Amino acid sequence: MNRSGFWGEVKKNRALLLMLTPAVLFFLLFAYVPMAGIVLAFKQYNHTGGIFGSPWNGLDNFKFFFESGNAWLVTRNTVLYNIAFIVVNNVLQITVAILLFEVAGKWFRKIAQTVMFLPYFISWVVVGAIAYNLFNFDVGTINSILTTFGMEPIDIYNTPGYWPVILVLVAAWKSLGYGSVMYLAAITSIDTEMYEAAEIDGANIFQRIWKITIPNLIPTIIILVLLAIGNIFRGDFGMFYNMVGNNGLLFSATDVIDTFVFRTLISSNDIGMSAAAGFYQSILGFATILIANYAVRKYDKDHALF
Amino acid sequence: MKTKKSAALALTTVLAMSTFLAACGGNNNAAEQNNTSSETTTNQAAEGTTNAGGVDTSKEVKIKMLLVGGKPADYDQVFGELNKLVKAKINATVEAEFLDWADWNQKYPLKFAANEDFDIAYTANWAFYNDQALKGGFLELTDDMLKTYMPKTWEAMPTVSWGQAKVNGKLFMVPNNNIEVTDKTVLIREDLRKKYNLEPVTSPETYAAYLKAVAANEKGINAFGAKPADGWKWHELDQILLEQQNDWNLVDYNIPLAYKLDDATGKVFNVYDTPEFTSLITYYKDLSDSSAWSRNVVSNKNDVWQDIKAGKTASYAQNLGTVAANLTEARRDGVSFELAIADLTPDKKKISAISTQNGLAIHASSKNVERSLMLIDLLQNDKEIHDLTMYGIAGTHYNAEGDDKFSAGPSAANYTGFSNWGWNSTLNRTDVSYPAEAQSIFDAWVGKVYHFPLETFVFDDSKVKNEVANIGNVMLRYAIPLEYGLVKDLAKGQADLNAQLKSAGIEKVQTELQSQIDAFLAAQK
Repeated sequence: MNRSGFWGEVKKNRALLLMLTPAVLFFLLFAYVPMAGIVLAFKQYNHTGGIFGSPWNGLDNFKFFFESGNAWLVTRNTVLYNIAFIVVNNVLQITVAILLFEVAGKWFRKIAQTVMFLPYFISWVVVGAIAYNLFNFDVGTINSILTTFGMEPIDIYNTPGYWPVILVLVAAWKSLGYGSVMYLAAITSIDTEMYEAAEIDGANIFQRIWKITIPNLIPTIIILVLLAIGNIFRGDFGMFYNMVGNNGLLFSATDVIDTFVFRTLISSNDIGMSAAAGFYQSILGFATILIANYAVRKYDKDHALF
Repeated sequence: MKTKKSAALALTTVLAMSTFLAACGGNNNAAEQNNTSSETTTNQAAEGTTNAGGVDTSKEVKIKMLLVGGKPADYDQVFGELNKLVKAKINATVEAEFLDWADWNQKYPLKFAANEDFDIAYTANWAFYNDQALKGGFLELTDDMLKTYMPKTWEAMPTVSWGQAKVNGKLFMVPNNNIEVTDKTVLIREDLRKKYNLEPVTSPETYAAYLKAVAANEKGINAFGAKPADGWKWHELDQILLEQQNDWNLVDYNIPLAYKLDDATGKVFNVYDTPEFTSLITYYKDLSDSSAWSRNVVSNKNDVWQDIKAGKTASYAQNLGTVAANLTEARRDGVSFELAIADLTPDKKKISAISTQNGLAIHASSKNVERSLMLIDLLQNDKEIHDLTMYGIAGTHYNAEGDDKFSAGPSAANYTGFSNWGWNSTLNRTDVSYPAEAQSIFDAWVGKVYHFPLETFVFDDSKVKNEVANIGNVMLRYAIPLEYGLVKDLAKGQADLNAQLKSAGIEKVQTELQSQIDAFLAAQK
C-alpha cells in the first residue's frame, strides 16, 4: 500500500498538524477572511450599502492622512520608536536571560523572574495612571522628591524632550519579563556538553557567554526581530494613548500613526478613512518584512523566516 | 545537537507566536466588526404598512432600545412595571441596552456599523444624530407614520420642533419636547469668595479675581478644574468667554468657525483669527501664570466634579442643569462648604436648545417600526408611563408632589443617570429640591432667549471631511495648549495656530460652510 502520498504525510504528522490547527484557524478567521474588508479603504462607507455595496471613491480616503501635513512626522515617530523598542528591549531581555541563566540560586532566579514578569500583566490604563501620579507637576512623586531636596520641580507633561526616554523605559520595563523568558528557554536548550568542553579547555565565564551562548541565540534573535519588524509601522496604541492621551504639547515627540488616526477620526467616525490608514501601515509593514527577510537570506539562508 | 537547535527554535517560535496572537487579539476588534457589518441592511421597514384605520397589534413583539448611560441598579424592577403597562396597551415588551458613559461614543457607531438587532436608539445633536442620519442608520419618519402611530405626540409637539429635527429636509428622529437653554455657567466656592472679601462673581473680571485669590491663598486647592484630555477641542471656559460673551455661535464644535448671532447674513469667520480671541488668550495666560489651574491640566485624569466635592478644586464650567444637580447633590450629602452658581455673561443673548438636544430614532433595519413608534408615543405623552420611565416607581424612587413636581424617594439613586431625557416632554416634573438660585437664573434666561434664522442650521461636512478631520487635530495640538497658557509666546502661538489651520484647509471648509449657510438663508425667505 502506498503511504507516501498527501494523506500519508498528514497521517504521519497528525499530532503536529493538530497542534497547528488552532493557529491556522485563528489567522484564517481573523486575518484572511476580514482581508476582503480592505475594499473599505477605497469606499465612501454608508450603512445601506454596507462593506461591498457602498460607492467607490478612489483614493479619497487616503488624502486626509497625506494632506494633514503630519504623515511624515507620525510615520517617522512610529518607526523610530519601534526601532528603539526592538533594540533596547532585545538587548535588555538577552542580558537578563543570560544573567538569570548564570546565576546559581534557584530561588533567586524564580523570584527575580516573577518580579520582572509582573508588569507584563498590568494594563496600559493602569500604567498610564501610575505614570500620571509619578510625573504630575503639582503632586507627582518625582516633583515631591525634587522639592524635598530643594531642587526645582520639572514640568514633564509639558516638555516633549523627556518623552522618548520615558516611553522607551516604560516599554522595556513592561516587556522585560516576558521577553527574557523566551531567551532563557532558548539558552536552556543549548547543549550543556559545549559548556563542559569549554570549561575543560579553560574558557572563563565571559568567553563562554560570548563564544557559546550568544552565537547559539542568533537564530532566536533573528526570528523575534523579524517578527517585530513586520509591525514596525504600527504604534502600540494602548501604550501611547494611555501614557500621553490628548496632550497636544507632546505630540511632536509622541504622536504615532495609530494615535493620530484615532484622534483625527474619532469624531467623524469614517470607517473608510480608518481602513485607509490601516492599509497604509500594512503595505509598509509588508514591504519592510520582505526586505528584512531578503537581507537575512543573503547573509545566511538558514536563518531567514521564509 | 541538530534536534536540540530545532527544538529550541520551535519553542521560541511558539512563544513568539503567542505574543503575536495576544497582540492581534487586541487589534482585531475592528476587523471583526467590519466582518459582521456586512450586507444585511435590508430595508424592509421603509415602506411600513400605513393602513389608516386601527393598527394591528395582535402579535406580541419585543422592542429593543439602545440608550446611553450606565444601566440603573433598579432597571429590572422599573422596566418590569413598564412591561406590564406596555403589554396591556400595545401588546409589546421593552428591553433596553445601556452604553456606559465611559465609552458610549465608541460603541454607539459600532452598533450601527454591525447592524445589531435593535429598534429604537437614543440620539441627539451631540450623539451622532446627523452622522447616523446621513449614513443611513436611522429610518426616515414620514408625517403619515407620525400621525398614525403617535397621535398624542403629533398633537403635543410644536411644528417648529419637527422642523428643527430635519436633516436635508428629512426627519429621522422623534425629538424631545422641552425648553432648555444651553448657556453655560460656572460653579464657585461661595465660602472662599466671602473669606477673601471678593465682589460677587458676575463677569469675566470678577471671576478672574476669584480664581487668582484662591490660587494665591489656598494651598492645596486647584482654583479651576478642567478635563481637556477627553478630546474636547476648546478651553472649558470658551463657551462662556468666547461664544456667550461675544454673542457668537460656533456652527460645529469640531471646527473653529462662528457667526454673530445678530448678523442676518450669517457671515462665518475663524474665531482664532479675531482680536477677541487675542485678548481672551491674554486673559487665560494671566490666569495660568497665576496658577489658577494646574500645569498639567491637559493630562488631568480626574473627574472634576468629584474633585470639587472633595474640596480639592474650587471651580469649573458646566451647563446650568448639571451645576444645579451638583448643588443638590452637595446639599444632600452635606459637604462642609458653600457652593454657588455664577453666570459670567448675564446680559448676553441666550440660545435655547433646539429640539434635537435629545430624542429617539428608529433603527433603519428595525422589524417593529409601528410598535416602536407607538412605544415612543407612550413614553413621551402617556402620563403614567412617562412618570414611571422618567422617575421610577412612586414611593420608591420618587414621591409625586402634586401633578408637576416630585421629590427624591428613598432609592432615587438606583434609577437615574441614563438618557431617559430622550422622551422629555411637557409632562416632565420638576424636582422640589432643585436649587432656587438655578431656577431663578433659568427664569431670567428664558426671557432673554434669542431666536435667529440660523438656529436650526446643521453643517453637512461630507464634502470636506478630510479638512474637518485635520482641523480638529490642529485644534487639539495647537489651540488647547495656547488657551491653557502653556505656550510662552502668545503672538507666535496664535500665528502658528492659524498657519496650521490654513494648511489643514480651513479656507475650503469656510467656503463650503458659507455656501451652505447662504443657501439655507435663501431657502427661508
